[in-house]
Amino acid sequence: MADILYFCRNRCISVEQIDEQSMRSSCRLQDTLTDALVEVIVKIPDLEVIEVSGEIRRSTGEQEINVVEALRKVIGIRVGPGMKKIIRGLIGNSKTEKELGFMVEECCDGIILTFTKDVLLHAPKDKLKEREYFKNMVRSNPRLYNSCAALAPGSPLVEGIKPPR
Amino acid sequence: MLKFTRNKLVSIYKKGQDRLLAHGILEDDIYGLEVNVAISINRLEILSIEGKWKRAENVECPRAIPFLQEAVGFRMGEGFPQKVRKIIGRKACRQFADIILECCDAAQMAAHVIRWETEKEKRPALSFDDFLSNERGEPTGPPEGFSISREQRPKPKREGAPAKEREKGAGGTIIDLHVHTSPASPCSSVTVEEIIQEAKRIGLDGVCLTDHNHVWDPAEVADLRRKHNLLILRGNEITTDQGDMVVFGLDKEIKGIVKLEDLREEVSKAKGFMIVAHPFRGFLTFGIGKLGLTLEKAMERPLFRLVDAVEVMNSKVTEKENRFAAKVAKGLGLPATGGSDAHEISEVGIYATQFSHVIKDENDLIEALRTGEFSPMAFRKEGRKRSREYESAT
Repeated sequence: MADILYFCRNRCISVEQIDEQSMRSSCRLQDTLTDALVEVIVKIPDLEVIEVSGEIRRSTGEQEINVVEALRKVIGIRVGPGMKKIIRGLIGNSKTEKELGFMVEECCDGIILTFTKDVLLHAPKDKLKEREYFKNMVRSNPRLYNSCAALAPGSPLVEGIKPPR
Repeated sequence: MLKFTRNKLVSIYKKGQDRLLAHGILEDDIYGLEVNVAISINRLEILSIEGKWKRAENVECPRAIPFLQEAVGFRMGEGFPQKVRKIIGRKACRQFADIILECCDAAQMAAHVIRWETEKEKRPALSFDDFLSNERGEPTGPPEGFSISREQRPKPKREGAPAKEREKGAGGTIIDLHVHTSPASPCSSVTVEEIIQEAKRIGLDGVCLTDHNHVWDPAEVADLRRKHNLLILRGNEITTDQGDMVVFGLDKEIKGIVKLEDLREEVSKAKGFMIVAHPFRGFLTFGIGKLGLTLEKAMERPLFRLVDAVEVMNSKVTEKENRFAAKVAKGLGLPATGGSDAHEISEVGIYATQFSHVIKDENDLIEALRTGEFSPMAFRKEGRKRSREYESAT
């Protein structure tokens, strides 16, 4: 018997640089039950959210909410640590609002990963030099120490680095 | 041209009476990974996980794979995403936590679809929407937005003489203005008693209890002060749309996330004092140069027009971020404070604020903050001496 899918989800996040001062990040969700889109524009270098838009094209159940109004609440926040708590707190707690908030988070994560990608593009190809490159990243940002398996004590990438106090 | 793309694909199918299989793929410019997660339909529990890297950030990323097993047995429900992010995200890798959560969320949706199909055999006219609203019930409660409780605690009575007449102590008063206790702050692992013992042991004159959105009972704090013979003051760390603020003199309980302008209004009404906490936390991860965040640009942030002071020494941020905050405070002519932001015992007093005046209660503290006669200090490192670290930073 064929294993027919009961549920399928596709979530796509894409980031583009609009001009020198701004970036647009969008999150499109399409699954068996929902079709939604959220777009966030942030200003550089502050990474302040200056515009948000979105729409829900298809969904199930729940009361209607004003998507534009719900999303507008995050205008003015900055992409960075602590943003998830702020986004969740501002947008609301119904099922739809939670999903919209999550999509905003995904857009913001996309912005951060864009910068991460730029940093990684400069990592040396040579293994030993690459190790030193990551060590320097941890040294300059001690919060990275023990933030994942690759940067946990015992990994060569943090060898010789004193744990943060 | 796109600068970055991420695609997450999750497919759910049924294998046996009580078993869903979720196949998740995360593919972006940096990472490529896949997971297979087996989930019990009835208990919504993770039964097994397999994960593999296709492309990773660095050669050590494969170390994440064995830690995925720690999520086996996790049940979906209250606190589940936090648990996955904490255990899998930190011990293994955030990207795996991300796709596992996506799989589990999709599996919960699939479980609804399966139950609806079963129910429809008995009631063929049952729509999915009707089924969902029966299953979920009415929406519960209001969103966790900004709300200030109507109940206002009595304000402590004004005691003592005006600040300018107050006694100036030799070396003044050194207070850690920013500590978190458990259970008032769920993120803290140290009790108030332990904080107090440690503050006494290292020689601090006092601590301010600044738990997240938590108002301490004045009577309880007064008891602690008497019991331990240490200056213990009440504050509150409140999350706003512009980041965290440490406030003093505000007795209203604030829930959820508040707009900074609204908080400013409340603090002013209460004649309190508001300090922006760790204003550049994590902001310099990629280096100022990468984002082009200059001192001038940072000083233009509207939030600095709404605060009374800037926390420029905080143990949860990098020295570079503290230095940057100190420069911004200096550039704007705003007073600068220090506080450990302790969540663990070893962090108490790493940073503190040294006041010129003797402080005996919360009113003294607010008056002293208003005078601006204080400076941040690296207390654990430099003891009771005037802070060289802050002076050299600015």
